[in-house]
Amino acid sequence: MTATLGQYLHSGAFWYLFAFVCFAAGVLIPGLLVVLSRNLLHAALWLLPCLASVAGLFLLLGAEMLAAIQILVYCGGIVVLILFAIMLTQGLGHADVRVTNQQLFWGSVGAAALAGVMLHLLSLQMWPLGTPTIPGDVTGRLADALLSPYLLAFEVASVVLLVAMIGAIVIARAEPE
Amino acid sequence: MVLGGFELFLIPGLPFVAFVLIAAFLLKRGEKAAPFVLIAALTGSLVITIQALASIAGGKPISVSLPWLQVGGLSLDLGVLLDHLSGLMMITVCTVSLLVQVYSIGYMKGEIGYGRYFAYMSLFSGSMLGLVIADNIVQTYIFWELVGICSYLLIGFWYRRPSAAAAAKKAFVVTRFGDLGFLTAILILSFQKPAVFGFDQLSHSIRLMGPGVVTAVALLIFSGAVGKSAQFPLHIWLPDAMEGPTPVSALIHAATMVAAGVYLVARAYFIFAAAPAALLVVAIIGTATLFFAATMGVAENDIKRVLAYSTISQLGYMMMALGVGGYTAGVFHLTTHAFFKALLFLTAGSVIHSVHSNDMWQMGGLGKRMPITAFTCLIGALALAGIFPLSGFWSKDEILTAAWYSHLPGHQIIFVVALAGVVMTAFYMFRLWFLTFCGEPRSEQAEHAHESPWVMAVPLLILATLAVIAGGLKLHIPWTTGGIGEMIRFGDEKETVSVFIIGLSLVVSLLGIGVAWAAYRANLISPAAFNARFPGLHRLLKNAWYFNRAWELFATRVVLAGARMAAWFDRHVVNGMVDGVAWLAGWAGRRLRVAQTGQMQFYALVFIFALVAGLVVVFGRGQSLLSLVMRP
Amino acid sequence: MTGINLVPIHAYLVVSVLLFAIGLVGVFSRRNAIAVLLGIELMLNAANINFVAFWRYGGGVQMEGQVFAVAVITVAAAEAAIALAIVLNVFRRFKTINIDQINLMKG
Repeated sequence: MTATLGQYLHSGAFWYLFAFVCFAAGVLIPGLLVVLSRNLLHAALWLLPCLASVAGLFLLLGAEMLAAIQILVYCGGIVVLILFAIMLTQGLGHADVRVTNQQLFWGSVGAAALAGVMLHLLSLQMWPLGTPTIPGDVTGRLADALLSPYLLAFEVASVVLLVAMIGAIVIARAEPE
Repeated sequence: MVLGGFELFLIPGLPFVAFVLIAAFLLKRGEKAAPFVLIAALTGSLVITIQALASIAGGKPISVSLPWLQVGGLSLDLGVLLDHLSGLMMITVCTVSLLVQVYSIGYMKGEIGYGRYFAYMSLFSGSMLGLVIADNIVQTYIFWELVGICSYLLIGFWYRRPSAAAAAKKAFVVTRFGDLGFLTAILILSFQKPAVFGFDQLSHSIRLMGPGVVTAVALLIFSGAVGKSAQFPLHIWLPDAMEGPTPVSALIHAATMVAAGVYLVARAYFIFAAAPAALLVVAIIGTATLFFAATMGVAENDIKRVLAYSTISQLGYMMMALGVGGYTAGVFHLTTHAFFKALLFLTAGSVIHSVHSNDMWQMGGLGKRMPITAFTCLIGALALAGIFPLSGFWSKDEILTAAWYSHLPGHQIIFVVALAGVVMTAFYMFRLWFLTFCGEPRSEQAEHAHESPWVMAVPLLILATLAVIAGGLKLHIPWTTGGIGEMIRFGDEKETVSVFIIGLSLVVSLLGIGVAWAAYRANLISPAAFNARFPGLHRLLKNAWYFNRAWELFATRVVLAGARMAAWFDRHVVNGMVDGVAWLAGWAGRRLRVAQTGQMQFYALVFIFALVAGLVVVFGRGQSLLSLVMRP
Repeated sequence: MTGINLVPIHAYLVVSVLLFAIGLVGVFSRRNAIAVLLGIELMLNAANINFVAFWRYGGGVQMEGQVFAVAVITVAAAEAAIALAIVLNVFRRFKTINIDQINLMKG
């Protein structure tokens, strides 16, 4: 151990790890609050730091474009949409009504079991180590991939969005009196 | 032979054609012509039979057959067989039927259903002839059943009368009992290898079958004969069958259909000869029948019922004869009995027609008023009683001789019983004659009785002539080359003549007549006093030994009990199983329904649990994920 | 980026699995339909983390990982729109979006 604490603190390794821990906590703890909040509005709002932390994780992994998309679409679009829906359905919840149903216990058990099994399976595996640096121009490469060879997926995705837009309008339309 | 033997098919065919014509065209409007169509057909059949018989002239029989059905390994043919046995029988059937139809023109005049009557009569004639001429046992069975149907239709001719309808049903059901045995015999034969039904082929293949099978077949065939020929214990239908018109009784229930049973045993005699146990059974039943029926005839007051019991008794004599080995004797008596019994029934019919009653105690003094009827009836009575030189004397003696010289164990007892039967036969017959035709009229109608018209009287005279001369068959059968002893025989029967037996039978017959004369004509013995001294006997005989009651008890106790058990089984076990399966499905469904909550979150939870379980099962052994997914 | 070797891929995968499980709990046990939707969004994001982690630790050259993540985000957006439209409709019909009460089945 030739490096001192100060040196370590100033090296990128430490800060990387620190950022990872922060973002991981930012994902998991608000996530827990999302599902356990009694107040529906609070639950939706807790989604915001969760999704933002996910974007942070993307940044750590070097996918800047994706992080931007995540913030724009998820935090800026979907959460707002959810907030609108909550407002329109007055689903703020009454204090005396339970927000969870009778499956809380067994649901937790099931989820825990799945998590346990999957973690166990993951631990058995030798995963690739990864390279310290990756070739640059990630965004460029992403664009190239989207426009060919994954052009079809790209176009289909746009159709899906169109259909969803129309569908949402039709379904949510008020009944003619 | 005009058509190479195929014209024999016309013998039953012509009456069937008559049936179709009458049924189609002559039921209402042209009904006056109906009897003549039938008479023409019967005459044609008779002519063809005579011509065919003459062409054999003592030689080999004619047999022609057409293939009919081939199913699997079985083949059935339709065929005709004309030998001396069938030829003689057919001449008898045609002759008696002809005379009865002529008689019926007068007897049934003015009746509703006149056309229907002759339609049924033609159907019956055709069926009877078909039965006689059949060359294989299945064909015999087919016509056997047809004859049964015709009997049902004719007994119940006046169907609006409840007693007639009941009698027809009883006849059919009781004979059905026997027919079941007959059918079983045919089924057993169909399982033999090879499966043959023709009488000629059977006589050869019978040697290849085991003795148990042969005895079973013989007994089952005999059971059919027991039903049709009204042998004990299936005799109960014949007295009730008198509900039908008297010509029907004369033709069907005296001369022809009831004789079919005897004819069947004679036809299939080679089977019986191979099964001595069966022959013993035949003899015993025949003897029992002749005795019991004679006792019942003694106590009857209805003129037709006396004759019915007489018929049963005489059929018993024929069966007994066949059983003890007197093949010729049985067939001989069959022929003579046909003539004189038909005669007796027709005379009874004339009497009933005049007096409008069946009760003999309403009659009396008819001899002066109906001389032809009285005379012909006397001829018939003497023939039945077996008085020399009438036909009945010869045939009855042959039977008694056969019984005495038979090799059957216990034949002496049979002989004694038969002799006792002769006494009773003579007695009841002349009781009938004296009560009906002698003394003073006992009712208004008897006073004003008159002779029958010629259309009814002429057949009586013809039949009376036949009853007298039919004994001549012993010497010579017309259109053949010899007497009945040579033409119709089985194996090497030797003809024995015993003067002692002849004399004995004459004596007992005269004894019977004498007792009847003393009781009913000369008033030397009083029947009423006799009945008072033996009330139990009188009741027993009057109630026909309670046979009807016994069968009734059997049907209600035994058969119904069995039926109730079967019904319970069906309702609770069979239905129970079916219901049980349905109940099980419902129960399982109710139990499984709990899983279908309709709540999506519950389904998702189940899904995740299943996924976890699947993962554990697949990856439980600790391999890595990638190694399973990517094969090298 | 330096320091990446300090964080093995397992870390990202663990986060992904845990986030997925948390989302599952939300889906199973919330009464409000919109709350169930929130759980579903969490699950989708867990999948995305998985994809991008593998992209990075698989070399970063082949872009399939990111392409898939883009597709997931797109579909999630579309699905959220439709789902919320349906929720609005259901709310108008039943006057509640409590899943327990939106039940026409009997028994």
